[in-house]
Amino acid sequence: MIKEAEDGSHSAKMQEMGFPQDGLSELKKAREELTVHVKPQLLNRYQRVSQNYERTVVPVVNELCTGCFAKVPTSFRYEKNAVMTCESCGRILYFT
Amino acid sequence: MTSIPLMTSQELASYFRESLCIFDLKAATKRDALVEMVEAVCSEREIKDRGLILEMLLNRESLGSTAIGKGVAFPHGRTLSVRDLSIVYARSVSGIDFDSVDKKPTHVFFLIIAPPQDRDNLYLQVLGRVVDLIKDDASREQVAGASSFAELKTIIEGKGL
Repeated sequence: MIKEAEDGSHSAKMQEMGFPQDGLSELKKAREELTVHVKPQLLNRYQRVSQNYERTVVPVVNELCTGCFAKVPTSFRYEKNAVMTCESCGRILYFT
Repeated sequence: MTSIPLMTSQELASYFRESLCIFDLKAATKRDALVEMVEAVCSEREIKDRGLILEMLLNRESLGSTAIGKGVAFPHGRTLSVRDLSIVYARSVSGIDFDSVDKKPTHVFFLIIAPPQDRDNLYLQVLGRVVDLIKDDASREQVAGASSFAELKTIIEGKGL
């Protein structure tokens, strides 16, 4: 949401539709509050990956990472309470 | 600016579901209205993360109200909690204070939620088309006055493109 708000063309499109976009600082503040609840190791991983890619967290579809389309081991789906990352690109994965 | 392909009225209408139309919203506050709409979409799509979706929508409202005036609001956003794009149509006869840009009560709501990645940026296409739908006074009054899903769908299908 913050990336989209900071993207000039996206923001312009939203304003053209009539949606004000002037609360970016509020949004950033909300993110700061949320990061307190995230484990530092995971937060670091997220921040590192987000520097390289537009989308940091991507769904796995047909056992493929939808960020780089590399095959994701089937066993990843059954990992409980673990945050899995793509072995190829490092994006954080989620299963739908 | 990225050009977004046009979506026909029929395509737009196909995203509306009868089970996601609330013709008599009971909520009296902004938060409760969002809760009621999120509840509808979560029940229909069997989504467990109600809280996450609500939090995302409230955060989106902090960027700027999605009530763009003339009694209409478009709460929207992307979330990992959904697989496909969903639209909830809701109507409040008495109106709700939704921090509208014209400071007037909001009567008609189009809640749009989509996954972070979607085909052809469907999310923006749908949002743009729904905003277009209510731009002129006659269309807006028709949409606001719809009393059944069939009527709403006929109105949407009949508008342009």
